[in-house]
Amino acid sequence: MTEILQPVQVLYCGICSLPAEYCEFGADFEKCKPWLIRNAPQLYPDLIQESNSKVADGISDQLQSSSITDGTEPSGSSAPKEPVKRLPGGKTKKKEKQEVIIEKVTRNKRKSITTLKGLDLFGVKLSDASKKLGKKFATGASVVKGPTEKDQIDVQGDIAYDIVEFITDTWPDVPETAIYFIEDGKKVPAV
Amino acid sequence: MFKKFTSEDVSGQNQVKASVQRKIRQSIADEYPGLELVLDDLLPKKSPLIVAKCQNHLNLVVVNNVPLFFNIRDGPYMPTLRLLHQYPTIMKKLQVDRGAIKFVLAGANIMCPGLTSPGGVLDEEVGAETPVAIMAEGKQHALAIGFTKMSAKDIKAINKGIGVDNMHYLNDGLWKMERLD
Repeated sequence: MTEILQPVQVLYCGICSLPAEYCEFGADFEKCKPWLIRNAPQLYPDLIQESNSKVADGISDQLQSSSITDGTEPSGSSAPKEPVKRLPGGKTKKKEKQEVIIEKVTRNKRKSITTLKGLDLFGVKLSDASKKLGKKFATGASVVKGPTEKDQIDVQGDIAYDIVEFITDTWPDVPETAIYFIEDGKKVPAV
Repeated sequence: MFKKFTSEDVSGQNQVKASVQRKIRQSIADEYPGLELVLDDLLPKKSPLIVAKCQNHLNLVVVNNVPLFFNIRDGPYMPTLRLLHQYPTIMKKLQVDRGAIKFVLAGANIMCPGLTSPGGVLDEEVGAETPVAIMAEGKQHALAIGFTKMSAKDIKAINKGIGVDNMHYLNDGLWKMERLD
């Protein structure tokens, strides 16, 4: 190997981008299977057999080869849809709840800051939002990196009660029911 | 380390001075003698070499928008897995058994027993604190790049705890970042 090194061409899976041989450890082996059968049949000889037997069973749809699972779907009508996102390691990712959380933090005894979390989950641009809030309430409002890397908006002053109306007016996407206050460490719905 | 890594974590990209470029080249050449022949292709002298600074004292060496090497603080430069797959011979290799693959791909550090078990292979010459390629039983390609915590002999003798720190593994943030713009 001391001569000119040739770069090795590695076959990467078109679905999960891993080298084909690692697909079986990837996040979504099931989805990769049809691609593997087409592009790297020699790597997973078992797959071919599986799909062949499936064809022999009289299921004609080509896409079916993806749904060779544990037999929980005997009809094989479609590949099981998985709404939960799977993380590598088999853990399921919790879907983030779409809600806006408003919390009042007191500083200097009689001054307070209202923090607004979760607005970004509704597709609201935080920098725009903070500008609007600042304008509306005539105070400073800024986007702050909150705990656990979440962005939140800090608005100076206690605006907790006007803010609900303002949010629902400005962003109709945000339902009133998704807005919560934090009072004494407890989550209380705004409505 | 790259478990959660996106282009947002890149705090700044700079085209580096020629002298710095030379230094980087030199240290890569020292670290990976096998690469010498292709180093000109990888890091063409003409095209600009960009160093992307990221959080946690991490630097990425980027050429033509493709990350090729990374290093931490002043540590050794390590190739990205895509590069390593192309030139698998440049690094010392350790092999883990099949049972460990799953965990390594989830970002776990490599534990000694996974290297010493029948499915694992240890290169006796590997010292402590060196970058190594982590191969897997029955697989051709590397699945991770690690930084040894103890020498291969120690791994064998102690056979407990973390043997190799997992730096970069398949499907982590850096892997997904094929191009950096």
